[in-house]
Amino acid sequence: MESIKAQISRRNFIKAMGIASAASIFALAGCTTEPEKKEPEPKEDTQPTENEPETEPAIAETITFAQGAEPRGLDPAYVDDGESAQVMVQIYENLLQYDDESCNVVPGLCDIPEISDDGLTYTFKVKEGIKFHDGTDFNAEAAKAHIERQLEPNRTEDMAYASFTWGSEETGDGIESIEAPDATTLIIKLRAASTAFLANVAMCMASPIVAPSAFDSAMEKPVGTGQYKFVSWTKSDNIILERNEDYWNPEKAGKSKNIVFRFIAEAAPRVTALTNGEVDIINGIDEAVVNTVTDGGCKLFQMAGMNINYMAFNTTSENFKDVAARKAVAKAINVPELVSSLYGEYAEYANSVMPLWMAPYCKDIKQTEFDPEAAKKELADLGIKELKCITYTNPRPYNGKGGQALAEAIQGYLSEVGVDLKIDSYDWTTYRTKVETEAYDMCFYGWNGDNGDPDNFMNLFADPNVSMNVARFSDDDYKALIRKGLQTPAGEERDEIYRQCEEYVAERQVWLPISHSVNLLGYRPEVSGFNFHPTAVTFLYNCVKTV
Amino acid sequence: MLKYVVKRLLQAIPVLIGLSIVVFLLMRVFSADPAPVVLGEHATREAMDAWRDAYGLNDPIWKQYIDFLWGALQGNLGESYYTHASVTDELMARFPATVELALVAITIASLVGITLGVFAAVNKNTAIDGVSMVLSLIGVSMPIFWLGVLLIILFAGILHVLPSGGRIDPLMQPRGGTGLFLIDTLAKGDTKAFVDALRHIILPAAALSMYSMAIITRMTRSSMLDTLNEDYVRTARAKGLRKRVVTTHHALRNAMLPVSTVIGLQLGSLLGGAMLTETVFAWPGIGKYIVECILKSDFPVVQGAVLLIGVIFVTINLIVDLIYVWLDPRIKYSKEEG
Amino acid sequence: MANTTDATITSNNKEQQVAKKSESLWSDMWYALRQNRPAMISLGVICLLAIIAIVTTIWPEVLPYNPYKQNMPQSFQPPSAEHWFGTDQQGRDLFSRVLIGTRISLTVGFSAVAISLSVGVTLGAIAGYKGGKFDTIIMRCMDIMLSVPSILLAIAFMAALGRGIDKAIIAIGLVSIPEYARIVRSQVLAVKANDYVAAARVIGDGNLRIIFRHILPNVLPSIIVRATLGISSAILDAAALGFLGLGVQPPEAEWGDMLGRGRNYIFSAPYAMLFPGLAITITVLAFNLLGDGIRDALDPKARKR
Repeated sequence: MESIKAQISRRNFIKAMGIASAASIFALAGCTTEPEKKEPEPKEDTQPTENEPETEPAIAETITFAQGAEPRGLDPAYVDDGESAQVMVQIYENLLQYDDESCNVVPGLCDIPEISDDGLTYTFKVKEGIKFHDGTDFNAEAAKAHIERQLEPNRTEDMAYASFTWGSEETGDGIESIEAPDATTLIIKLRAASTAFLANVAMCMASPIVAPSAFDSAMEKPVGTGQYKFVSWTKSDNIILERNEDYWNPEKAGKSKNIVFRFIAEAAPRVTALTNGEVDIINGIDEAVVNTVTDGGCKLFQMAGMNINYMAFNTTSENFKDVAARKAVAKAINVPELVSSLYGEYAEYANSVMPLWMAPYCKDIKQTEFDPEAAKKELADLGIKELKCITYTNPRPYNGKGGQALAEAIQGYLSEVGVDLKIDSYDWTTYRTKVETEAYDMCFYGWNGDNGDPDNFMNLFADPNVSMNVARFSDDDYKALIRKGLQTPAGEERDEIYRQCEEYVAERQVWLPISHSVNLLGYRPEVSGFNFHPTAVTFLYNCVKTV
Repeated sequence: MLKYVVKRLLQAIPVLIGLSIVVFLLMRVFSADPAPVVLGEHATREAMDAWRDAYGLNDPIWKQYIDFLWGALQGNLGESYYTHASVTDELMARFPATVELALVAITIASLVGITLGVFAAVNKNTAIDGVSMVLSLIGVSMPIFWLGVLLIILFAGILHVLPSGGRIDPLMQPRGGTGLFLIDTLAKGDTKAFVDALRHIILPAAALSMYSMAIITRMTRSSMLDTLNEDYVRTARAKGLRKRVVTTHHALRNAMLPVSTVIGLQLGSLLGGAMLTETVFAWPGIGKYIVECILKSDFPVVQGAVLLIGVIFVTINLIVDLIYVWLDPRIKYSKEEG
Repeated sequence: MANTTDATITSNNKEQQVAKKSESLWSDMWYALRQNRPAMISLGVICLLAIIAIVTTIWPEVLPYNPYKQNMPQSFQPPSAEHWFGTDQQGRDLFSRVLIGTRISLTVGFSAVAISLSVGVTLGAIAGYKGGKFDTIIMRCMDIMLSVPSILLAIAFMAALGRGIDKAIIAIGLVSIPEYARIVRSQVLAVKANDYVAAARVIGDGNLRIIFRHILPNVLPSIIVRATLGISSAILDAAALGFLGLGVQPPEAEWGDMLGRGRNYIFSAPYAMLFPGLAITITVLAFNLLGDGIRDALDPKARKR
């Protein structure tokens, strides 16, 4: 009930802000279900629809968005973190994009491509007359160059999303060839049919089109075709963007003149900056500060997250090579209790890797039951007394409390069963390199879906890249299952494959899934028009602040 | 005088060389091998060797040190293990922020500290004396980072009168110039930006100044009491000069001598406090940067930063000494330290 | 942070101290200290803290809760009759944690001072007594250590040594050696110039005997003042290390560390940050007041004021 009401109010909210149409069209590729969006009961304010004055109110020049960490860089070919995506989506555009509220694919810099009957050849019609921010032309050749530099053999180690998005020879999937016969035509041939390919083209990693003139410098000075142009980046403090006055699509042009991103690591100071009027929108809020946001006269936006917060067992470590040891540790941890006391009502217990609203077929997946007595005995039998984990200190979209608090809670549970957990923690940026390199028993991580496709989650257990597959799980049967899933068209048969995937990793206890968190944004009451997307990025081109 | 200056300068050189050796040893010898820290424990032996080669870590330790020192003398402190950026550039980009914070903090500390100290001395053993002594004791007893957070809660979180962190509204940030925003904005006549920068600096500077303020208050008080007991002050009083005139013209002027030394020394010690204050207030200066780099074992940066701070610290102490000698002719140039 | 003022102030009084006989000095000092109410209250507070530290160590059952026992459903309970200081993120009783934290803070304070005191006094005495090359080398080394803020040096030490309370003690202890060495050296120089030392030498007393019998007793008062104040700055430095996440390993309860993690909950759970901060402030204040009191008691000039 509540959710329906909330959805309606969300629609009003959007209508009032002038986003095209409120009625969203379901179906097409990707999400079949829409995440539940809601705003808390407004305290004294009326919906902006009702009292909208006739004349346009004056709007502020600048929207300031504060997030918990600095982007790793601003070239979508190399980065893989949400902080980078948050900035990049304002600067770049994709050949295809998602619609405002779901992961349904709609035209972007191209129209929806024609797909050959065998599902292998995609023919894109590239729009004409679009220019990059530096004045160079966007055309099929530019798009080809952007994708080609991420394909083998050009692909480099540090292109985190390349193999996932564009496939690889080894796994026999993804792009086999790419051609640009003329300025407006792009032809992509795949090695194997892929249901997720269109969704991948619309993703905010790897796919956003970078100007070829900026391939060498886009990490620091991005150049795209989007509504906002890059101005400056003051390290560890802020990034400034300004409106692209020559934007090609008047319907989606930027409204505010500038967008400023600020990086404030801890949640409490970030909230203080919001209630104090220093910033307009913040993300990475957790249950501890929700009341501070609303008490401070600011508003809360929330939406069920397309994410998973988990602890991964290093399946290559001495201690956890064996599934029995992984199960024994899982038995020691009371995950439901942990989730409710750590995250309150802003996260739910994860019985499966994918959140249920996205993959309802996972509702019967079961995780290991909490059984400290058995855990104690089994761990003693296995001779496990001491374990080492690594974790991150910053709050993440899927874990508002940060990895440190989570690791320490796990440490508390393990100490009850006679196991000492040694915790090494690092800031997020350093942590990203540590998961690739450190010899840990367990590590804490999370995932926010990029394209609404189940493959986007379940492939994490099959990815050869250890920074994605932090459990370092490698299983040929599982990989075969994943390949099958990609080639099967959307429908019940495909759902069943992913249900099996879920079961497969749950039985082997590769991860200890912890929670699916609710995405929260705090914003000033004068602010409207931002669009929070299920992929956990906030589009700001339509965002305005009245003064 | 010149001879004394030269002598002191010469004395500073072995100290700085010694410091560079200590820091170098700490980072290169006692710390774990940086190759697995940066490349990871799964890195192959060859990869680690190649990396060490690239950073000159396979050379004999004395050669590494000479290279480091030689680089440092030319202003090249090496490059960060993680970002590959030049350490000198990174430090210089953040240096003005720290200088500005320290200068504002020492100004606050001196103004408030001297005023409180003089009042306490003149009103010895009264309530004013008691209160200012208690305040200064609390000032040295409070953890600076705790005070900082309390200030943020009060002024930004509850009263909403001052910003909670950062240096200036990013869009008002002056480009070029000295890097001291208060000066740059004034020079450009941008009053709005100046006020904004001022509002940002008040809380961190206040938190940072607390410890020094307490020390200055105590020093002023005791120094004032000493001079107020001196014969010439008594004579002046006996001659019938007004108490106020005596206090300000005779006693204060002489009492300032030791106080000014303390102020100078405090300016150096503020650099230590700045690490904590900058972290709490997200102030983009050297202190915050050092803490971040220590936490991720980015040794070249730590090494360079400690050396830089050492140079500043020694320079400040030297200048303070010279001013002291210049102000007080009673001190012989050959004065032994300690 | 360098307590340069203290050094300057104490060195003003050396002549008076030197002239006194040690027994009467102690009883005079105790008499004077007893007149100083803040100092006596501080002494009481310090005794109380010491008792808390000792009792909670040998008999932890006295604490209302096990300070390390996690109880997730009880996370962030505000202060109440059951949990006087509330509970933390993991549902651990903050009152118990603050109490058990006393042990760590006092241990760090006393042990760090013990390190810097023993090394510093030895080095200072050698430098002052022997003079010449010894003096130059030792004091140049001290200058090197004094050429960066002590907390920065301590952090650098911790970065090299790794986390842990034992390492924090070493780091903090090492960085304050120069302060003691300097004080002792200047006192030794002053005492050495005195007639009775020359007299002792004439009678044929050996170096060690002169140092122990004639010089150290005279240096002791200013060392005691410095050490008392040194404990307070050691506690503050340890808290700073903890706050930066360089101090103890979880789940150890250290005040600075508790304060650091409470920082994220300043609005929803201000008590998580308030009580550890108060504990640090009170402890440090007590040592500062006591140190001041001892100094005044030892200094007749100050006493007259």
